[in-house]
Amino acid sequence: MTEVSLRSLVKSYGRSTALKGISLNIGQGEFVSLLGPSGCGKSTTLKCIAGFEEVTEGKIFFDNTDISRKLPEDRDIGMVFQSYALFPHMTVAQNLAFGLQMRRVPKAEIATRVARAMDMVQLTQYAERFPKALSGGQQQRVALARALVIEPAILLLDEPLANLDAKLRDEMRGFIRDLQKRVGITTIYVTHDQGEAMTMSDRVVVMFDGEIAQAAPPEEVYNHPASERVARFVGNANILDLPVTAKDAAGSDLALPDGNRLRIDSPAPWANGRLRVMARPEQIGLTDPGAGHLGGQIAKRYFSGGHVEYHVDSDCGPLIVLGPTTQTVAEGANVGLALDPARLWPIPEPKGKTQ
Amino acid sequence: MKRIRSTLLLAPAAALIFLFILLPYITVLVMSFRAPAEGQPYGEGFSVEGYAHFFAESYYATSLPQTLFLGVVTTLVCLILAYPVALHIAFASKRWRGLLYGIVLSPLLVGIVVRSYGWTILLGNSGVINSTLRNLGLIDRPLPLMYNDFGVILALAHVFLPFMVLPLLSSLQAMDPAVTQAARSLGASRFTIFRRVTFPVSMPGVQSGCILVFVLAISSYVTPALVGGMRVKTTTLLVVDALIDQFQWPFGSAMALILAVSAGIVVLIFARLTRMKWT
Repeated sequence: MTEVSLRSLVKSYGRSTALKGISLNIGQGEFVSLLGPSGCGKSTTLKCIAGFEEVTEGKIFFDNTDISRKLPEDRDIGMVFQSYALFPHMTVAQNLAFGLQMRRVPKAEIATRVARAMDMVQLTQYAERFPKALSGGQQQRVALARALVIEPAILLLDEPLANLDAKLRDEMRGFIRDLQKRVGITTIYVTHDQGEAMTMSDRVVVMFDGEIAQAAPPEEVYNHPASERVARFVGNANILDLPVTAKDAAGSDLALPDGNRLRIDSPAPWANGRLRVMARPEQIGLTDPGAGHLGGQIAKRYFSGGHVEYHVDSDCGPLIVLGPTTQTVAEGANVGLALDPARLWPIPEPKGKTQ
Repeated sequence: MKRIRSTLLLAPAAALIFLFILLPYITVLVMSFRAPAEGQPYGEGFSVEGYAHFFAESYYATSLPQTLFLGVVTTLVCLILAYPVALHIAFASKRWRGLLYGIVLSPLLVGIVVRSYGWTILLGNSGVINSTLRNLGLIDRPLPLMYNDFGVILALAHVFLPFMVLPLLSSLQAMDPAVTQAARSLGASRFTIFRRVTFPVSMPGVQSGCILVFVLAISSYVTPALVGGMRVKTTTLLVVDALIDQFQWPFGSAMALILAVSAGIVVLIFARLTRMKWT
């Protein structure tokens, strides 16, 4: 198993800079997702690791070897592409054998390893089919097997599920995750889908504008986002901007619009004497009007199967709240909103020019 | 009902093909079995004299392998010259691609007669190349550059190069660039990628380009006539000769059909050999 270390990667195209100093260590067998909107540099980072793009500055290490100047064919990577990129003129078995032939593996061993790989992705009965005769999900499994059969140092996946329909995508998530754990290969996964990143990864790396905004386990990124932008990109975020009335070693008192106080564990308030706290939609409870911490009126109600999503005009601006389907509230109704002080997350004050 | 109506959409094209391709072919076929005659295009009754005459007289019979040979070599020359060009254009930046496209297509803007005359000016015994070499004192006697296979193949390859570049280009451009990246990630060198991935994947383009150039080359008249000067004897030249100069319609028709069928067989064999199971 291989450790990957990115050290201050910079990638410039003429005057524009796609990566502005990316540093990241990825442990042995770790599954790391690079998550961000399009143009944030996640794909560029992956291409630099694969060697299809040359880094302008910085170094990439696989274990203790600097591979920044190596050609892709010499890096010992397995890569899966969004378009699958199977060889259309080769059968499934020939596609899988290709990488082993390049490594001059003896014929008999190729046959056994290809058979094992096809078994691993449950495609043994399709060995003699051409890619065109397979469904999108099957093609993606072939692509995965082709990348893994060579037993590469690391596995790189570039939005591999983006071309699949929703149901298949959910299946493939679990499939890739299980396979990765079983093989134990260090994996870097690029996606713009936060659900995908959260369910599959050991660690999510959120990127904006060529920089890493946060690199942490999924729960941490979701519950304790490093910035308001991360909070809003990963799931729905309700941000309450409240003045701090008192502050001691244990925490801060926030003044609610109705005059009551809400005590939270918090670092110092922002320079303007206020705090911006985040509550996820499922962390706000609906109560009777007058109860709870905030008052509000239901503006919109969306039923989505497992739960009901309410858009509430509250004393603190518009909020999104999730409620159970067993007891729904009508649009236009007045409600109280209960906050959970222990789970409110004070968003760190941005440093310098950002935000 | 719907079926019938959508079939009707084919009617105009079908009528055109029938009137201008099928009907003339039937006429030629019938004509080829007419009896020959003196002083008029054809005589009374039917015979296989036209076909017999072609295969009996070596003057005519040898033109067939000669024509097919010219066609095959021209096709190969075009393929070898066109592939690097197509490869280059396919991976060129957008800005350059338009210009390169224009350059490739530019020979088609000049009429075939003009282009062939152009070659005679270059290749003739007192043409540009020979007189330059002679003035430089590099040769005593003119090099035989035209009135032979070399000159005809050169001129044909020039004329038909675009017809090879375009199908190659479209098949190369249709290729997913991630496929070559995948091959690289699996450890393949650039040459191996070309040999095992790029070239086989471009096979549909190779196939259609080769068929196109071959068929055009063996049926071309102007270029062999001007650059070959009747000393390179192709079946096509003989067909025109029989029909127009000797006024022997049955014989000319028979030769035309022999050439068409032979070309068809060559194309079928080629298509069979290069058959792709994966498309």
